[in-house]
Amino acid sequence: MANQPSMSRALARRENIAGYLFMLPSLVFFIGFVVIPMALCVYTSFFDAGMDRNTPDVFVGFANYAELWKDAVFLKALKNTFIIVFVSVPVVCVFSLWVASAIYRMKESIMSLFRIIFYLPVVTGSVAVTVVWKWIYNNYYGVLNYVLKGAGVIDRNINWLGDQRFALWGIIIILLTTSVGQPIVLYVSALGNVDATLVEAAEVDGATDMQTFWKVRWPLIMPTTLYILVITTINSFQCFALIQLLTSGGPNYATETVMYYIYYAAFKLYRFGYGNAMGVILAIFIGLLSALQFRLAKEK
Amino acid sequence: MKKFLAIALALVMVLGLAACGGTVTSTEDAAPSANDAADGAATSITLWTYPIGGWGDEATVKSLTDAFTAETGIAVTVEYLTYADGDDKVNTALTAGQGPDLIMEGPERLVANWGATGYMVDLSDIISPDDISELNVAAMEACYAPTGEVYEYPLVMTAHCMGVNLDAFKEAGADQYLDLENHTWTTEQFIAAVNALEEHFGGAVGAVFCGGQGGDQGTRALVNNLYEGAFTDPDHTEYTWDSEENIKALKTLYDLKGIEFNPAIAGGDEIALFYNETLKMAFCWNIAQQLNPNSADTGAGKTINGSEIVFMAFPCEDNIRPVQLQGGIWGFGIFDNGNQAKIDAAKQFIQFMCDSEHTIDAVRAANFFPVRTTVNAWSDNEIMQEYNKLMPMLGDYYQVTPGWAQARTAWWNMLQQVGQSDGSEAAIKAAVEQFCAEANAGA
Repeated sequence: MANQPSMSRALARRENIAGYLFMLPSLVFFIGFVVIPMALCVYTSFFDAGMDRNTPDVFVGFANYAELWKDAVFLKALKNTFIIVFVSVPVVCVFSLWVASAIYRMKESIMSLFRIIFYLPVVTGSVAVTVVWKWIYNNYYGVLNYVLKGAGVIDRNINWLGDQRFALWGIIIILLTTSVGQPIVLYVSALGNVDATLVEAAEVDGATDMQTFWKVRWPLIMPTTLYILVITTINSFQCFALIQLLTSGGPNYATETVMYYIYYAAFKLYRFGYGNAMGVILAIFIGLLSALQFRLAKEK
Repeated sequence: MKKFLAIALALVMVLGLAACGGTVTSTEDAAPSANDAADGAATSITLWTYPIGGWGDEATVKSLTDAFTAETGIAVTVEYLTYADGDDKVNTALTAGQGPDLIMEGPERLVANWGATGYMVDLSDIISPDDISELNVAAMEACYAPTGEVYEYPLVMTAHCMGVNLDAFKEAGADQYLDLENHTWTTEQFIAAVNALEEHFGGAVGAVFCGGQGGDQGTRALVNNLYEGAFTDPDHTEYTWDSEENIKALKTLYDLKGIEFNPAIAGGDEIALFYNETLKMAFCWNIAQQLNPNSADTGAGKTINGSEIVFMAFPCEDNIRPVQLQGGIWGFGIFDNGNQAKIDAAKQFIQFMCDSEHTIDAVRAANFFPVRTTVNAWSDNEIMQEYNKLMPMLGDYYQVTPGWAQARTAWWNMLQQVGQSDGSEAAIKAAVEQFCAEANAGA
């Protein structure tokens, strides 16, 4: 009996070692491709680093960070990024919850059909998606102008991606179509897993459909909602491919986002330190907003 | 037993990874590399090429590299870049120390960018006085760094121009404004033609595309020629596009109903819109497009519907300054990857393509004109002969001005701001001055 605790510890240690060894390959990749680049990003952000082989990187302290807040393009990019986040995150959550609520009790085949329809833009490559949307938005022969003119909504073609009044909203709409697929699948799954006995009990007690949803189902799917909020927030903050492929941040910086500006500063202006400083700031914003979401969800 | 197997499996996986890493390191550490022969000569080199005419086509390039390999025994691995992301790929590779041995592009990248930042090998030792005497003077000058090194061995060149849909011009009665013999027209004729086309067809007949840097040589040449403006000073030390002449040109373009500033398209999109006859003129045009419009293989000098395309110089004011077309110069440069064997092999490749009996094939593959004046590549091609009329109109090759990469982006951002403005002279002036100052800050 006296040997039992030490044997348990030995067993636990052996199991831990096995577990760590299984994790090791992933850990190597995680450290190599995530942790070290992140550390390098923070480190480089304190340097005036560029491509020039003949000029050594110069330590500039927080100068890159200070410059950011005087850079009109960065501030515009930050504003655009927040608009994208604050519009797309609630819309994605509400829309996907609505669709999932409508389809999760349907016949399996019909529900699968809807899941495929909404998930298709997610698995379609960004380039293919943007080619299609570029055609839809085309100023000269785009289908959107054709439909709106036919319906009498507009009387002349609008350059949707070339007009600073519409370009950002055009991007947000595309982002929504590519963002709702996964949340819908997750919500369908979460709603399907809600304990039926709890719902029946509420109904027996006289709860209406709305009361059942908000008092029983909603709290039970809260972990899913939190996950969706966090991933949608991160994806929205990191909106890049659509911008690069469709507008390059234009017209007149109307669709410039922080992610695109990081790329622009690093690969077009060759200001690696400045780009990294932006990356650090973006990571801080994403972290803060995600933490806030966790906090609010926990309080709920 | 299960645990033993699990641990063994994990160890195998970890060691496997370590082994993979070790292989890469040892290959890289070997100097000279495993690709080098015992006598120290390289047996393989890598070439990255932008889509310069047929040099973007794998079958065409393979026939050239196969001939080189057959003669020298040096294998060539080719990677085909696009203008959309080619710079990013090269820059990423260079900063990671994984650049190719050879690159094919123009002096704006090889000299003003990678040469100026210390990544290129000086090619002076393979350019003899005889070569200098045979190579086009303006093209050769563009390949020199301000400090005297040669970072590009030029192979081909062309003059960028405009394309017009002649059938559409005739239909609108605008062909009267074209000098089809000399392929020239004046600013007044251009304005009259745009108005005639707009009245006949309605909407935009030409687009000042500014969705990115693709094809921006066209918009620069258009603006600079209308009223004799300049993009840089003659010494290539400063950007001077904030001149009254250029502001006047931008104002003229803004005020023309048939011309629209379109930030949703770049040069490639404009060519497609011209090819499908949505637009009646293209500002992004050259001989490669004339020979194969939109790279669609539907016939030289024809739109998708078979309308005739005529190449034209950019319009300029009559009797003031001759038109100055933007030149395109393309050739080879060598990245200094610290391996002399590879550098020597790359130099052999350059001499094979640019200074041998094979040069004519390399030139014809590109669909442009040879920089070496002794190469007679196009005597059998009527279109090339006709296009040759534009070559004397080549203007200053200012793309080697320091800070070129930043200046290019400032240019299309400026066009976007002009296009989104109210079109007043004050608004245009403000945009021009703001972005020209940005360009000069990077110079």
